Amino acid sequence: MITRRKWLKYAGAGLVAGSLPLSRVAQAAAAEAARAGRILVVLELSGGNDGLNTIVPYGDDAYYKLRPTIGIKQKALRKLDEHWGFNPGLLGFERLWKNGELALMHGCGYEQPSFSHFTSMAYWHTATPNSGDEYGWYGRLADAIDSDNRPNLLVNIDTSQSLAVKSRHHTPVVFDDPERFQRRTLAQEHGLIEQVAAGARPNAALDYLNKVSVSAAEASALVREAWAKYKTPVDYGIAPLQLPKVAACINAGLPAQLYYLAFRNNAFDTHVQQPDLHQRLLSYMADAVHGFTRDMERLGQGDRVSVMVFSEFGRRAPENTNRGTDHGTANFMYFAGKGVKGGHYGKPLSLTALDEGDNLIHTTDFRRVYATAIDGWLRGNCATQVLKGEFESFPVFAA
Amino acid sequence: MKKLIAAATLVLLTAGPFASAQESPDWAGDLSPISAADWNRETARHLLERAGFGGTPADIDALAKLSPQAAVRRLVYFEGAPAADLPAFDHSGIFDEGIDPFPPSRPATTALAEKNGEALGIKVKASGNRPQQAIVNQFFYWLRASRLETERVAVWWANRMVATPRPLQEKMALFWHGHFATSEEKVRDYRKMLQQVELFQREGLGNFRSLLINVAQDPAMLAFLDAGVNVKGSPNENFAREIMELFTMGVGQYSEQDIREAARAFTGWNFVGLTFHVDADKHDAGPKTFLGQTANYDGVGIIDRILEAPPTAGYISGKLYRFFVRDEISPELKAALGQRLREAHYDIAPLLETIFLSKDFYAEASRGTRIKSPVEFVVSTYRRLGQPALPGVPDFNRVTEALGQHLLFPPTVAGWTYGRSWITPSLLIERGNFALDLAFPDIEFIPEDRYPVYPTGAEIRAVHQRLRAGEDMISATRPVDEKAGDDMMAMSNKVDRAEAFNTRYASYRGWQMAIERVKPIVRNLPRLDLAQMVLIKELKTPLEVVDYFAARFLAVPLADETRRALAKTLEHELGSADVLASATVLEEPLRVLLHLMLSRPEYQLG
Repeated sequence: MITRRKWLKYAGAGLVAGSLPLSRVAQAAAAEAARAGRILVVLELSGGNDGLNTIVPYGDDAYYKLRPTIGIKQKALRKLDEHWGFNPGLLGFERLWKNGELALMHGCGYEQPSFSHFTSMAYWHTATPNSGDEYGWYGRLADAIDSDNRPNLLVNIDTSQSLAVKSRHHTPVVFDDPERFQRRTLAQEHGLIEQVAAGARPNAALDYLNKVSVSAAEASALVREAWAKYKTPVDYGIAPLQLPKVAACINAGLPAQLYYLAFRNNAFDTHVQQPDLHQRLLSYMADAVHGFTRDMERLGQGDRVSVMVFSEFGRRAPENTNRGTDHGTANFMYFAGKGVKGGHYGKPLSLTALDEGDNLIHTTDFRRVYATAIDGWLRGNCATQVLKGEFESFPVFAA
Repeated sequence: MKKLIAAATLVLLTAGPFASAQESPDWAGDLSPISAADWNRETARHLLERAGFGGTPADIDALAKLSPQAAVRRLVYFEGAPAADLPAFDHSGIFDEGIDPFPPSRPATTALAEKNGEALGIKVKASGNRPQQAIVNQFFYWLRASRLETERVAVWWANRMVATPRPLQEKMALFWHGHFATSEEKVRDYRKMLQQVELFQREGLGNFRSLLINVAQDPAMLAFLDAGVNVKGSPNENFAREIMELFTMGVGQYSEQDIREAARAFTGWNFVGLTFHVDADKHDAGPKTFLGQTANYDGVGIIDRILEAPPTAGYISGKLYRFFVRDEISPELKAALGQRLREAHYDIAPLLETIFLSKDFYAEASRGTRIKSPVEFVVSTYRRLGQPALPGVPDFNRVTEALGQHLLFPPTVAGWTYGRSWITPSLLIERGNFALDLAFPDIEFIPEDRYPVYPTGAEIRAVHQRLRAGEDMISATRPVDEKAGDDMMAMSNKVDRAEAFNTRYASYRGWQMAIERVKPIVRNLPRLDLAQMVLIKELKTPLEVVDYFAARFLAVPLADETRRALAKTLEHELGSADVLASATVLEEPLRVLLHLMLSRPEYQLG
């Protein structure tokens, strides 16, 4: 457990590490800070990404039987090995793979899958398939690793707050555009405009607003300054998915350890005319993740930061008649970063043993991957508590 | 900060305007009607806020004078309310023959051009450079023009919300827009979006069965949920799933098999232009087993079966309740309201009449506890300020989009999540910044429907500038932010240099063509006269002014120390404790007060 005072010390050490030659003592402190202050970035691909056309099992004839028109031809793929190939849009992932910085987590899903975006996404957000929870798994994780309720531990860069970050004790910092994350005030209003006061009568909604108001006042200056002083030569591609904003916050030494982002608006819901669109979406995603990983390295933060990517479900195994795919089940998850031991993890999905709805049968409970992030990467030692059950980690990160 | 809150709770409250509200007994869960004896200005104000978008003190007085029954009937049935005599949407005239049906993507458009020698009503050039350029230009023209025109539809609609004497008509349309959420992002045809809004305005308070059938046959919805590809032999489940999960029953009330069977019943439902059309040879007329019964269902048959199913009435009335009253609804209340809706044969108005008259609606837990949605926040601000029409600055679409509720562009088919998710640290700040722009106009305002702004706008402006500096098309269309080194360059930034057309040029040219034809939004500013508002009431002290503003703008009382702090600031700005004597210098200090008041957490509640 990190106390607030210790934390401030760590954060200070981190800043020093970026700017001055280090004494041995300072180096040791920085190393401790890096270990304690590991950062996880979760990227959600909303809409249900088609795993089969993302990491293509071209060595399996069954794939081309399931996907006679939208199956990606061998020669178009970016091959990983004799069996698997990346979608042509995944240049960024190919680069990570070649560096040994990309882990492919096979067959992630859950029992009795829901085919509703909203229901399935809620299961992933709360990590409670076929059940529910008032708080998100990421919010519960914040509560578990930080009993001091440090402000600005949990950051959600989006236009609205995700259920995943809803926390009992932490107020997530939620913003979209750092330049607009600023209360514009006149001089004569200073001191007054940010004061809050409890209602005369009990009013839970007002209490909530007051809490958010206090958090806004504290976080907005930090984020804005971070963004103002950040500049990068790294190419994140056309749609950087908020990742440069995360880089800016990390660069500025913000105390956040948990970041949550989304490729928004059900983008991956490719029912119709899938191939061009899907390839384009994947190129945006992989360009951004690759750019971010390079940027972290540039900033000397590569060892501290990992990215986890997921989607609420995969697509139906056979294509539909509209050159698209319908809602399905199991799918890949991904870890990217310098700390990742690149490779395949988990059991590949069978393309022939489908369920009665022509769906892939999951081989990995997605909460095992969450556990890998919580205990394997963040060293939280609290996966069982956060996930409300025992889930075995994968050895994606060095012990 | 904790100390501040604790201190505030100890202070005795003196806010006069709220005195009656404090006496409200615990009415939560009681659907019996409120009595005339309990009807007053505070209940009238609450009704107008929830069943409309709030109003001026005069609007509230007018309702308070009526009986509760008459007040509710005025809002729900428009009894005694003037007709909504507002202009129809003024089309810019951007549609060209050949645009409809619009291909799903640029590659699909050029593939069509290669196959047929023409697309979008334009022929491929016989020879010469970039023979498909005009077609791709037209593709981007329509994308841009339809989007801009859709934003004009949103402005037209928002103006109705501000100006109508029948606010519930527009508020119900807003409810149904969130319920049957359809986005221009996918529909890509403002005409269909407009037609759908008009349907909600026309039938939003009518019969749910009729509304549901009309929505299921509405071209915007059919386009949005891929009806065109739902055909006999290969049903597409998108619409069938959403009609049950989101529109009528809620998740878990049906099986995957029910979805597949319902999808078969909807096969062949499509549209031609702006009209519903059934493709008889693509319709699967065979027997389907749906929710336990077997028949040769078509779409209307499925809808009727859904309406018979026990969960439907409760689901719809529960959702209406959460929109108009409170976030939480007990199972008993939900069952009772569902029963009411069923008894009324799914007529919506009688259900709303029951809700708006009920003691539950006026219970303490219902009042001043609902976070206003961004559209409600902006519209009700203008109504409270007595603005007769929607101002063009601040830009309604940009403000509400930044706040998380861009009309006609809902994020997903599930619409917007109401309640606390409207508020994040950054969105709360954004709301305050809107209030500042209202009180003190932003002189740096740029109309984004004319001027291409960051980030895509920067590319378009760069192409424009380079072409006019005489650069050739390939050079002029290189990315603005081109980073060195091909091995590190992101794939998505590698330039599209097809021989037959240039995409970046088309995107630029499409913008030019769009602004030539889409009519501009009138950019008038709000006209405020806060001094007059205060002087007419003969308010004497800064504290009286603060209390008057609080009563006019807030649904929850201010803590005493906040009132006094605001009064102190006002007095300081006036340079006097005598308001009347400061008549000629009142306006600016009152603008500061307005900004402070509207930035407060309390103002977010209605």
